[in-house]
Amino acid sequence: MIIAIALNENHSKALVDEHFGRCVWYCIYDSESRKSKYIENTNRYAEEGAGCSSAEMLLQYGIQMAIAGRFGVKVVEFFRKNNIQMVIPETQQTLIEIINQIK
Amino acid sequence: MARTKKNRLIQKAPNFSGFKPFGVQKANACEISLNFEEYEAIKLCDYELLTHAEASALMNISRPTFTRVYESARRKIAKAFVEASIIRFEGGKVVFDTLWHKCSKCNITFTIPEGQSEECPLCHQTENIANI
Repeated sequence: MIIAIALNENHSKALVDEHFGRCVWYCIYDSESRKSKYIENTNRYAEEGAGCSSAEMLLQYGIQMAIAGRFGVKVVEFFRKNNIQMVIPETQQTLIEIINQIK
Repeated sequence: MARTKKNRLIQKAPNFSGFKPFGVQKANACEISLNFEEYEAIKLCDYELLTHAEASALMNISRPTFTRVYESARRKIAKAFVEASIIRFEGGKVVFDTLWHKCSKCNITFTIPEGQSEECPLCHQTENIANI
């Protein structure tokens, strides 16, 4: 399964970002090959619709799950339509902690 | 008899239950209850910066009704601010648009896409799951 995680920095100890659309980096993690890569969120300064354009971009990587601290209403609609699972950690967690939890 | 209210769609209930003022010796006895639909109206309008028309479509109510809900929310918040009273999120005629589930073991909230079994995406167990 391919998972997108919203991050504020691009290393394994970075915290999961508070907001899906306005984060600085996304980590694309493949739970089968256990490989990850970082892509910059170029839409983060967009006036509006930052989340939706990022979500569309991430969809091209074939993600099935997205992890962030919060999702905007438009993104929730978009992900629901495309059958993508959304996960919100209740406590501040780092990327490595999340990855270690995924089995 | 008054006409019954239409159900308002909301995305997600707040994950905390309200606000209380600090720096006051004795909190004002009267509590203000902010309905979930009013919380949602403030969130859509002032946090997500949607217009009243867009927000009303998301909540499945008419634009004038949305404006009324929003107005009432702002008055309640202003009243609580000025009178230093507690704000509690409760009540309202709402239905949830997206169903969110919680896993108490992993401490996460998540959605379940169509056609997937009801299990936690991280630990793949089913016993710790609660609907919210």
